[in-house]
Amino acid sequence: MAPAKTNAKKSTPDSQTSDHSHQSSFLREHAEQQFAHELEELATVDSRQRPPSWKLSPWAVSIYLLGGRLENGFEVLPKYIGNRRLMEVAIATLATDRALLLYGVPGTAKSWVSEHLAAAISGDSTLLIQGTAGTSEEAIRYGWNYARLLAEGPSMDALVASPMMRAMADGKIARVEELTRIPSDVQDTLITVLSEKTLPIPELNAEVQATKGFNIIATANNRDRGVNELSSALKRRFNTVILPMPNTLDEEVKIVHQRVESLGRALELPAEVPALEEIQRVVTIFRELRNGVTIDGKTKLKSPTGTLSTAEAISVVNSGMALSAHFGDGALKASDLISGLVGAVIKDPVQDQVVWKEYLETVVKERDGWKDLYRASREIG
Amino acid sequence: MATQIHIFGIRHHGPGSARSLSQAFTTLQPDIVLVEGPPDAEVALPLLLHPQMRPPVALLVYVPDQPQQAVYYPFAVFSPEWQAIRYSLQQQIPVRFMDLPQAHRLAIEIEQREDGEGQEEGKEWMSERVSESPSSHPPTHPPTHSPPPNPQSPITNPQLPSPFPLYTDPLTLLAQAAGYSDGERWWEHLVEQRQDSTELFAAILEAMTVLRSEVESQPQALYPIPYTHFESLREAYMRKTIREAEKQGFQKIAVVCGAWHAPALATMPPAKKDAALLKGLPKVKVEATWVPWTYGRLTMSSGYGAGVESPGWYHHLWEQGERGKRTRETSEPTLNSSIRWMAKVARSLRKQDLDASSASVIEAVRLAETLAALRDRPLPGLPELNEATQTVLCFGDPLPMQLIHNQLIVGERLGRVPDETPMVPLQQDLQRLQKRLRLKPEATETTLDLDLRKPLDLERSHLLHRLALLNVPWGKPQSVGNVKGTFRESWRLQWQPEFAVRLIEAGIWGNTVESAATSWTCDRANQANLPDLTQLIDQTLLASLPQAIAHLMTRLQAEAAIASDISHLMTALPPLVNVMRYGTVRQFETEVVGHVVDGLVTRICVGLPVAVASLDDAAASEMYQLVVSVHSAIALLQKSDALEMWQQVLVKLANHQGLHGLIAGRCCRLLFEAGVFQPEDTARRLGLVLSTATEPTQVAAWIEGFLSGSGLLLLHNPLLWHVLDRWVMQLPADAFTATLPLLRRTFSTFPAPERRQMGEQVRQQEERGMENREAEIGKVDSDRADGILPLLAQLLGVSL
Repeated sequence: MAPAKTNAKKSTPDSQTSDHSHQSSFLREHAEQQFAHELEELATVDSRQRPPSWKLSPWAVSIYLLGGRLENGFEVLPKYIGNRRLMEVAIATLATDRALLLYGVPGTAKSWVSEHLAAAISGDSTLLIQGTAGTSEEAIRYGWNYARLLAEGPSMDALVASPMMRAMADGKIARVEELTRIPSDVQDTLITVLSEKTLPIPELNAEVQATKGFNIIATANNRDRGVNELSSALKRRFNTVILPMPNTLDEEVKIVHQRVESLGRALELPAEVPALEEIQRVVTIFRELRNGVTIDGKTKLKSPTGTLSTAEAISVVNSGMALSAHFGDGALKASDLISGLVGAVIKDPVQDQVVWKEYLETVVKERDGWKDLYRASREIG
Repeated sequence: MATQIHIFGIRHHGPGSARSLSQAFTTLQPDIVLVEGPPDAEVALPLLLHPQMRPPVALLVYVPDQPQQAVYYPFAVFSPEWQAIRYSLQQQIPVRFMDLPQAHRLAIEIEQREDGEGQEEGKEWMSERVSESPSSHPPTHPPTHSPPPNPQSPITNPQLPSPFPLYTDPLTLLAQAAGYSDGERWWEHLVEQRQDSTELFAAILEAMTVLRSEVESQPQALYPIPYTHFESLREAYMRKTIREAEKQGFQKIAVVCGAWHAPALATMPPAKKDAALLKGLPKVKVEATWVPWTYGRLTMSSGYGAGVESPGWYHHLWEQGERGKRTRETSEPTLNSSIRWMAKVARSLRKQDLDASSASVIEAVRLAETLAALRDRPLPGLPELNEATQTVLCFGDPLPMQLIHNQLIVGERLGRVPDETPMVPLQQDLQRLQKRLRLKPEATETTLDLDLRKPLDLERSHLLHRLALLNVPWGKPQSVGNVKGTFRESWRLQWQPEFAVRLIEAGIWGNTVESAATSWTCDRANQANLPDLTQLIDQTLLASLPQAIAHLMTRLQAEAAIASDISHLMTALPPLVNVMRYGTVRQFETEVVGHVVDGLVTRICVGLPVAVASLDDAAASEMYQLVVSVHSAIALLQKSDALEMWQQVLVKLANHQGLHGLIAGRCCRLLFEAGVFQPEDTARRLGLVLSTATEPTQVAAWIEGFLSGSGLLLLHNPLLWHVLDRWVMQLPADAFTATLPLLRRTFSTFPAPERRQMGEQVRQQEERGMENREAEIGKVDSDRADGILPLLAQLLGVSL
């Protein structure tokens, strides 16, 4: 039976969690392993009411995500930096047994939030269905172990349960990543699960009914090309939370700086970590173009077609660093940044070109201390 | 029996306060009600019960001969003051305003302004007046000053000395201390938990006393001194009014004031001290009337409101309370307020054709309640409801929330005042202007010619243009027939009775014609798109509204930046350049415009090459006109860098291969005239275009673009003439027939004398050509010459 299988599989992560401090040879650990200590502390302190099969109360989940100091002095690291209210809406949604759809442009920490929510609520973030253009209905419902199917005929034992089915049986959170990449007809398989809270198995004349605590967190993105719009029937069954770009310049500079630093170390780039001003400049350009208005709020601008996410800003700074390390003098300069910048901004050769030129002529040209950037852009443009 | 004084510290525009207040009044049965408000306006109070009176309305107190000196006291149905006054009028007990009269306050203001113009102290005095205004009672300043910062009037300079929230809304501060984001919710809970609301007011008095003594013990940083002085004047006057009521033998005095003032009225210092404070205050004559108000105006966002962020939500709470009262009487269960709110939200979404099913409403209410639980609130407040709406009903999209904000949270309710309401100051201002400018409103039509070089006529013109902006078309501009020049204007004047009504409507915008026109224009500008803005700028310039112009320029810049249609930008440029060059006739500052013009030129230059690609004939002829007008505008501008940039763009266009001939031809011509293209170069280009590889229609379009409107160029530039001539001559017969109509189209636009001259030139050259041909006949390759002979014969109509 499916649950038995799940248990067998679950025992492995559990054993890893217990001695996780010694064992980190994995490239990346699951959230519930990496932050096992925090989850444990929270569970001991948490005396509030927990929804059925939740490992923590909604309040404790919000502390886990947003960080804070517990009564016993334990410091919980923030997992999500940004609008606290959004996280509260997300948690409250899951508590009302409505499915949660995290929506937004690429690079806004959707999957990250989804993983941590699942880890905090069910203690298990591994019940994951990765949406791709090739995701089939079997991946969402169930498949068959054909050897057994042939040998024994259709039975529960011959059934291969999907993560969704296991989450339903155990009352856990199932995650669907990149929901909009899944073909539309396959997406709609979720409708029965969401409205009837059951997964019928017509071959066996049986069904798997969701136990309390089951829910779905889906992530989807609205800017990429080649996505399949959600049908409105499916959309209605989700509560949608749109994750925004970082709110303030400082917040974004901080995120970019941290990531660039850690990535630079990982790639062993000889260049030193760029000065904050240079990062600030890149982030400023990204924010101004993305928001369609200058930082001082005085001049409006056109926005390019690309998303200009924080993640792209990180990659611009990174490639600039690589350029300056291998071809320049090791210090990040405007000329190292400019090609990456232009590449990030100009996604549509006609429209974006106009946007970028206008930006150069009306903003960059006039701004104090940005002359080098203007000159560099004239050289390559 | 000793006199009882009951002090009700309220939250201005708080529905919770209003409800508790009416409850308290019913149990207390006071025999006089004193309300924080201007005693000067007491005369207008009886109108409040008039059946035509519908809140939101505002009491307007103004100085009759300087209507820009005015203060508004807005009231909504949920304002405690409104309910208090209503109660006493209905019970037929005396009601009095007890605040420092505006006669003094406005006088102080005027005095300060007169002797403190530009001086530091003066400003300080004034700014404190401002910081007070959104705060304690509603006195707010006329919309006139609001939109752009007004340099002349320090009163409205929005440089509040770091507005300290305490006296803006002390109850919200307490609510925040208790962990609520909305003071109204906190109050609601307080009221719901305490059945006896009289006791509640005692508790508030206590809390305020502590709060005030706390603040006053550390004054400097939080609490500007002149402000304190002014406040003590106000409170002294309030106490004075209370003492008077006491003296007159009233038994139960109900005092309704902002919670902040409550402690100061509870403990009475000796009467002498107050009398000394109030002695020798300056005074002006003021008048009061009612004007209609809107919920939008009650909000902070409109700049001169009462600082209520969500009047629509408060209205909902108030209605909910009223409904609760009814259902308590009939012992029906009270519906949860969030359900009703969500239903309203869903309805207004549906009106906009957005899906909002009842199932979603259920989910939204559930989410709001869970959120409230997560945040330890017994009931969902506005933030929870909004978040639930956005998540469930709007699929996370913040855009429909804007709609809900405008329609429900702020509300679009417009108030109404009875017909008998005294005249608004705008009408009075107009009368004054009419007298001064010697323009009589007459029902018969008269014509008025103005010479704008004369100050009086200029002012008249301004007045008429401003009225036109305010939708009072008293004068209709006539085109000035035979008189040339920008300093003449002709009007046809006719006053119509309905203009009076329109003036009352316009009264909402300001108290003088100028200020009303300014704020009206600014408001329009906020909604206008680029072409509308350009038009508006024209009108506004004529009306001479410098503040509005400044605002328009900011808007124009903003719109220009996001305008994707380059033709809009190009239409906007020429009028602006005209303003820069000729604006001086109307005595207008051109610097602001200069900045915008620079931005426009840059944007046009960047965007034009993309915008002209692949145009059809109609679009091309439009673009052609635009290019021509922008070119002359830039020439007029006389700025070398702009001209250089523009010429570079023209060169690019002229070299552009796929460009519509009309535009390419004109670009070439413009550059030729500007001397960028040398005659030889131009001839080469002409030849290139006219070569057989080019489609005949394209060639004809090119020629049209190149030549239209000026045969003279052709007559006096032999080089050009030659190239054109040669092209016509070598056209194959079929192509010639095909091109002829197109060519004719261009040539027929030339004036007759030019055409005749051309004909003569052709004949002369022909004659010369014959001679030349005869002279040169020996050198000619006769084989090749034979080739053209048949065509020549055909052209000349001779047979060989």
